[in-house]
Amino acid sequence: MSARAHILVLLATLLSLALIVRQVRLRRLRAKYALLWLLVALALTPLALAPGLLDASADLVGIAYGPALLLVIGFAFFALLSLHFSYELSRLEERARALAEETALMRERLEALEGERTNAEDHGERIDTWTVHS
Amino acid sequence: MPESALAIIPAFNEAAVIASTLDELRRALPHVDLLVVDDGSRDETASIAKAHGARVLTLPFNLGIGGALRTGFRWAIASGYTSAFQFDADGQHDPAEVPALLAPLATGVNLVVGSRFQQAGGYTVGRVRRGAMGSLRIMLRLLLRRSFTDTSSGFRAFDRPMMQFFATNYPAEYMESVEALFLACSEGFSVAEIPVQMRARAGGAPSNRRLRLGYHFVRLHLVLLASARRRRVPVVLSGDAG
Repeated sequence: MSARAHILVLLATLLSLALIVRQVRLRRLRAKYALLWLLVALALTPLALAPGLLDASADLVGIAYGPALLLVIGFAFFALLSLHFSYELSRLEERARALAEETALMRERLEALEGERTNAEDHGERIDTWTVHS
Repeated sequence: MPESALAIIPAFNEAAVIASTLDELRRALPHVDLLVVDDGSRDETASIAKAHGARVLTLPFNLGIGGALRTGFRWAIASGYTSAFQFDADGQHDPAEVPALLAPLATGVNLVVGSRFQQAGGYTVGRVRRGAMGSLRIMLRLLLRRSFTDTSSGFRAFDRPMMQFFATNYPAEYMESVEALFLACSEGFSVAEIPVQMRARAGGAPSNRRLRLGYHFVRLHLVLLASARRRRVPVVLSGDAG
């Protein structure tokens, strides 16, 4: 890798780290996801610093071409991650649904109660006038 | 506890037809209570329904018929109803058939399905839809070892235990009626099918978009297969004092 490409990769890694930290500080990412992405960024940083590491570790597990190892791991990671997100989404959808049902039921109850109260007030007034006049 | 049955009417943008459906129900069945579940309509469905003597539950966004029904069941249970029936907002169902639909409930049946296909004449559907329905019917027959002539009918009556089960377990996605029928049978509820006449829809678009139908067709087979061997624990609803 040329020195220029090296610097570019390093910058990209640092930038993504900074982005994640910023998101966490602004509380846009929940801690568990922030942690996940921080770990990813941290795992990639040494590779950016020392490109030789990738080839060495690929050699260790018997993969001839270094970047292939990165692809395999990356693919597995994202597959698992999207599986997890599907699970989370299903759960959130179910909860949103339950909440929607609940608001419909509560709204009807509230309107019924308001109706009862208005009726009771009307009724109360009528009784008062009747007592006064007799 | 109300003696009468409750009509649960899911409605999504049915302002054009809801009034006549409600009026007709009220005329034919004066003792039935009307509950419209407004499924996130963007038109005047809710206010028209209210003006025509129905109780209205308004969902904040569209949940589909399954979600609307589930909300209706929860309301029915909380209000103490012992029987209810599902009725289309678009005038497809005939109020005159309701007493026949409710009758088996008195003999201990938990779920009554009004079938369009048990008698000659009346209702026809497109070729694709008929094929899908046929396949689902066969699937159900294989899994349940009993056959239904109309697995996707939305004209159904429920007793209280059935509603209690469905209040939390009614399937939410499109074509939910097939899944619900399967669930009821596999949970050991007593299910009966009776022949009914249905009419052409008075308004609203029939849900026959092919891609969507195809997707849900595949999905349903998967769901049915996956749940075939799964047992569920009986559901106890909190706050169900009647």
